[in-house]
Amino acid sequence: MSKMKLCVLCCHYTNEAMPEELADIPAKIHIKRFPCSGRIEVVDILRAFEDDAEGVLVAGCERNFCHNRTGSLRAAKRVEAARELLKEIGFNPQVVQMAFVPRLDTGAFIEEVKKLFEIILKTKS
Amino acid sequence: MIIAERKPIERILQMIEPYQKIAVLGCRGCVAICSTGGDREVETLASALRLARKKQGKPLETIEETYVRQCDPEYLKPLAELKEKVEAVVSLACGVGVNLCADLYPDLKIYPGVDTTFYGANPALGEWEEKCRGCGDCIIDLTGGICPIARCAKNLLNGPCGGSQNGKCEINPDTPCVWQEVYDRLKARGELDRLTKIWPAKNWIPAGYGGPRRRVRPDLQINNKKA
Repeated sequence: MSKMKLCVLCCHYTNEAMPEELADIPAKIHIKRFPCSGRIEVVDILRAFEDDAEGVLVAGCERNFCHNRTGSLRAAKRVEAARELLKEIGFNPQVVQMAFVPRLDTGAFIEEVKKLFEIILKTKS
Repeated sequence: MIIAERKPIERILQMIEPYQKIAVLGCRGCVAICSTGGDREVETLASALRLARKKQGKPLETIEETYVRQCDPEYLKPLAELKEKVEAVVSLACGVGVNLCADLYPDLKIYPGVDTTFYGANPALGEWEEKCRGCGDCIIDLTGGICPIARCAKNLLNGPCGGSQNGKCEINPDTPCVWQEVYDRLKARGELDRLTKIWPAKNWIPAGYGGPRRRVRPDLQINNKKA
């Protein structure tokens, strides 16, 4: 069975995880960094699915701690917009998740990726 | 500006069902400003359509382009080349743009990706409100600059109806009664006497009586024989 593909869209500040730190998760994880999560567009999320991702995690700074003040709040709105679009075309909206994670805390970030993996497993069962 | 709203994707998918390669064509005029048909919306819709078709097992190829204005033949010249590369075009311009594309390129299979809804203003980010109905005979000099045709649910021209309660419209408690607004505005301006005068009946002929409306400025026409 081929490995599940997950895509993580995040800002520079929310993810410093090394590939080996994600090795416990039995999925192929593609991480795409942006200068700020507020720069992540709906189309970036959709394109991840076009590239065969089964789940997408958008990770931004914790509320009120965004390096650019409101970037992660914008990202959360884009996640909602992407979910609406995905619902329209017959996808389970849960395949996109938003996470607010503490800056430079690799542990919290990895936990969110694990959560996404579990959610996708559930949606497939 | 002209306000539009994207059609349900299911409806767009029905329109393009027979095609394998289409163009999604945006417009940088009004629909870009109201965040319905500019570059960003073109790439989002194109991606959503490809994804939906991939899910259906009928992959779709798209070309994404956005023209300066689809309501002006000058900017539609590249469409002659684009239409040769695709089987159909989904336009995210308002109905004006789609009509003009269809007029200029009768062999082009062009489909509307948006519903053109109203003439509106952008009072806050992500919000648009109808302000004008394009009736062709503006009377807002009499109403303090506020249009009762566009902003009254019953298009009343002679004051509020019985559904005006506490300054709100009966159709929706969030909708102000435009006649209350007219009254308050004129009162503040010391012009309440405008409401006591008998207005002549509104001329509805310019609102579209007699078919499609047309405006000509002979001084701007290139082939004006009278000049």
